[in-house]
Amino acid sequence: MKAVMIIFNQAHTERVDYILDSLQIKGYSSWEEVKGRGSATGEPRMGTHTWPEMNSSVLSVIEDTLVTPLLEKLSRLDQVNSEIGLRAFVWNVEQSI
Amino acid sequence: MSIYKSAVNKPITTLMVFTAVVVMGLYSYVNLPVDLYPEIDPPFISVMTTYSGASAADIETNITKRLEDALNSVDKLKEVTSTSSDNLSVITLEFQWGANLDEATNDVRDVIDRIYDYMPEDVDRPTIFKFNTTMMPIVFYAITAKESYPGLEKLLDEKIINPLNRIDGVGSVSMIGAPHRVVYVEADPRRLDAYNLTIEQIGSMIAAENLNMPSGNVKMGYMDYSLRVQGELAESRQLEDLVVGNFNGTPVYLRDVAEVRDSLKDLSLEERINGQTGLRLFVMKQSGANTMKVAREVNKNLELLKKDLPPDVEISLIMDTSTFIRGAIQNLSETLMWAFIFVVLVILLFLGRWRATLIIVLTIPISLIVSFIYLFISGHSINVISLTSLSIAIGMVVDDAIVVLENITRHIERGSSPREAAIYATNEVWLAVIITTLVVVAVFFPLTLVGGLTGIMFNQLGWIVTITIVTSTLAAITITPMLSARLLKLRPTKEKPGRISHSRLILPLLDKLDDFYVASLRFALKRKRLILLLALALFISSFGLMRYIGTDFLPESDESSMSVAIELQTGTRVEETIKTTRKLERLLQERYPEIEIMASSSGADDEGSMFSLFRGTGSNIINFMMRLQHVEERQRSVWEIADDLRAQLATYPEIVTATVSTSTGGMGMGGSNTVDIEVYGYDFDQTNRVAEQIRKKLADVKGATDITVSRKNDKPELQVVLDKEKMALHGLNSATVSTMLRNRISGLITSQFKEEGDEYDIRIRLEESYRNSISDLEEITVVNPMGKKIKLREIARVEEYWGPPSIQHKRKERVVTIAVRPQATSLGELAANVQAVVDEVDIPQEVLVQIGGAYEDQQESFMDLGLLMLLSLILVFIVMASQFESFTMPFIIMFSIPFAFTGVILALFLTGTTLSIIAGLGAVLLIGIVVKNGIVLVDFTNLIRDRGLKLNEAIIAAGRSRLRPVLMTALTTILGMLPLALSQGEGAEIWRPMGITVIGGLVFSTIVTMIIVPVMYGLLARTGERDKVMKLRRKFSHLD
Repeated sequence: MKAVMIIFNQAHTERVDYILDSLQIKGYSSWEEVKGRGSATGEPRMGTHTWPEMNSSVLSVIEDTLVTPLLEKLSRLDQVNSEIGLRAFVWNVEQSI
Repeated sequence: MSIYKSAVNKPITTLMVFTAVVVMGLYSYVNLPVDLYPEIDPPFISVMTTYSGASAADIETNITKRLEDALNSVDKLKEVTSTSSDNLSVITLEFQWGANLDEATNDVRDVIDRIYDYMPEDVDRPTIFKFNTTMMPIVFYAITAKESYPGLEKLLDEKIINPLNRIDGVGSVSMIGAPHRVVYVEADPRRLDAYNLTIEQIGSMIAAENLNMPSGNVKMGYMDYSLRVQGELAESRQLEDLVVGNFNGTPVYLRDVAEVRDSLKDLSLEERINGQTGLRLFVMKQSGANTMKVAREVNKNLELLKKDLPPDVEISLIMDTSTFIRGAIQNLSETLMWAFIFVVLVILLFLGRWRATLIIVLTIPISLIVSFIYLFISGHSINVISLTSLSIAIGMVVDDAIVVLENITRHIERGSSPREAAIYATNEVWLAVIITTLVVVAVFFPLTLVGGLTGIMFNQLGWIVTITIVTSTLAAITITPMLSARLLKLRPTKEKPGRISHSRLILPLLDKLDDFYVASLRFALKRKRLILLLALALFISSFGLMRYIGTDFLPESDESSMSVAIELQTGTRVEETIKTTRKLERLLQERYPEIEIMASSSGADDEGSMFSLFRGTGSNIINFMMRLQHVEERQRSVWEIADDLRAQLATYPEIVTATVSTSTGGMGMGGSNTVDIEVYGYDFDQTNRVAEQIRKKLADVKGATDITVSRKNDKPELQVVLDKEKMALHGLNSATVSTMLRNRISGLITSQFKEEGDEYDIRIRLEESYRNSISDLEEITVVNPMGKKIKLREIARVEEYWGPPSIQHKRKERVVTIAVRPQATSLGELAANVQAVVDEVDIPQEVLVQIGGAYEDQQESFMDLGLLMLLSLILVFIVMASQFESFTMPFIIMFSIPFAFTGVILALFLTGTTLSIIAGLGAVLLIGIVVKNGIVLVDFTNLIRDRGLKLNEAIIAAGRSRLRPVLMTALTTILGMLPLALSQGEGAEIWRPMGITVIGGLVFSTIVTMIIVPVMYGLLARTGERDKVMKLRRKFSHLD
């Protein structure tokens, strides 16, 4: 099992949902209105007057086999316009109940 | 869930909500009355008191003065003016605008009740009369007739007036100059004396003969009959056969001593329509009725009713206030349509996309229609002010939608789905949109608080703009994202745009403009101080131009109608007046082909109709009313014609004063555009002398026309001076003698002649040839209680005497008012010249001279406007300071306001327009628009600096990116106003100044703002942002 954390511009919400559904990923937790800024190119998403945009994030724990197709699809989405902003991070799930 | 998210997710609900609003708005629109100006309840109450037999001076001391003193204590009273004339005292109380007149009326009534007991015995109870604009007639007809003229009164009463009165909304229909039927019994005094008869005896005989009397019931057999004595005359001729007395055993018939004439009443007022005999009919509407609708109904009904009239009776329209209103409203509606088209074009030009344009433009009708709901609920009408307000709003309501749509488009172009783009893009900007709206509201809302006459006009404007702007913001954050989500889609940029496409033709131009702007901005930023000094120099020097701009109260408009009031030598008999009228009619007909119809009235209607309250009447007065051709159909303007006419009238030696006035509508709106010089003082001779001096000097003042003096020349009177001793000797007293005199000269009415349900007076008096000279008067016989005949000369002398016809008061003091109308000059300039003249005149100590009139109103209104501007500035400052959380930023932005005024001054100077309230209003509006541009610019500069750019770079980057939105909003407003500024049709004169000021101010201030605001920002905000970072660094230095 792997945990995938997807942090994306709110504007991607529907597409991210669609990707998760298309891979039949049922379980996830999500946080709306997440602040953040990119290390290299990413614009800050602060929800302030200066940086008005905001991110959302999804944390989903999935089968190992699903990780690659998910990241592929997400990367394709990001490539449409990387300015909008989408990142995904994968880490191991040691244990779960 | 946020409002914009709900709107996007529930498009049908959103659509339905707005449909509901639009439907309600359209319903309100259909039901709204249409008028020229907002309804004005002029705060005037008149108190009229009659005291028969008292001269003007008696009335003044016994009635007017006492009432004035008592009424002075009434709440919210602003000014008391009064006129005391023979038999009548009229006191006019002017209250503060907005005072509750019902309450005031009650107060006035209380005061009158309290004082009534202390007034002379024979005084009639004073009547309280509330003046209302709706009392002014809305339609005038001229009715001419040849053969039917004698019976015209009855004919019209039955066939026209009664049916017209039944129309919904018609208040009353009246006639001026209708011929009245009267039966005259004119006695020969010598025959009366010979047969031992008197006028009074004849009167009582006629009264005794001409009657029907029920005399009880008679029972006969089965029946019950009522018994009546039938003595009424069936024909007026039967009067001749009445037996009025006995002489030596033979009956004396009325025909033996008098002549019976069943005829028209003696001439005291003559009406002519285009030189033909006729009369005028006028219609007044009920309060609150729709002028246009009533006038239309009356016209329509009259067309039908005409058919029942004899062929020689002709009815033609002289004046219809509704045509001017209709023209003005139509004109303004066209203006509104053009403004709409311009706004659409500008948006299309900048965006280059049909769908986006459609979405933005949709906010226009929605926001504008909501204002109709406001008008309907608050009971206002569609009028020049409300329509002008809409033209002002039309360019501003799209601003918010543009900002929202621009952001949504940016998101879509980045690849977001339209739906999400709509939600999140709106989320990013909705707060900013609301704040800019608040600034505009801060400027317009104070307009709703202005009092006085200015307030009546501005309150509506304030509300309408506030409401439409707020609605447009609501629409921008609901329906705009909703429609964007539905209609917009990512459009791939074409590889090869078509030859006549937006991106080929317009975008390069806009890009070039951007480059040019950035270049000039860089140039300016390098020479900040120089630019600032230049700007200040420009601003200060523009005030030098101020001297060349005249000031006015309200612009006058060409309403295609003219009226002339001419006064001949006081005491001129009506027959002589009519001769002059004929001469003038010929002059008017020959010299002014523009005149379509003309009604003249010469003399006075002694019945004292309500209409005579508003005009001076007297046997020496001629009134003309003229309708000219439509504005577009004639070469000369109404003012040119009026000026020429004034010059012509001045050549007639018999004319003492002549006033040519060109305004009919706008009644009560300071309808007179005059400077009044008020001369206060008790002594008639002294004040007359001062007034005469001023009048003579004024005649030489440039631009002063229609100089009228309110105190009329003393009029000649014949006074019967009774010798009390001799009267007592004969057992007579003043009362009996004066009644007998009245019966012989004016006539005794003891009975009415009835025919077909109408009653006509039977007036018994002496034949005219026995009462038209002083010696005839002295020959009049009076009878004492013992039946002895005494000639008047035995007990009295008849003397010629001069008396003042009326005495005017203002603020409880005797006053003479000299009114001057400006010609080819402005009111303000004329007032200055007049003041100079007054200063030259040597004024005695007891006399006080003041300047008032429309000039006074103008000063008051400008004062109100000044306060308003101050209030707006403070509110705008408050909103901006809290938005930016800074005192510097509002200052930077407000620095652009003076340049808006520079633009206004330049525009007024170049077009030769005077500074009227309307132009002043335009200047107030500018504050809002200019500040809005400034906010957009400064806000974005702040934002870019926050994002880490250096000061100058941030300024330039912000300038580059905001140039188009600022130009777009400025252009939509300027082009929205252009039709106002250029319009030529009816009523255009009223609002043209507003268009000119706003356009001038906006063009100039937009250019200046785009340079000055960045320069000021560069100067003042230099350290502000850097300090913030430094402060933070210092605070956490221990962590390093």
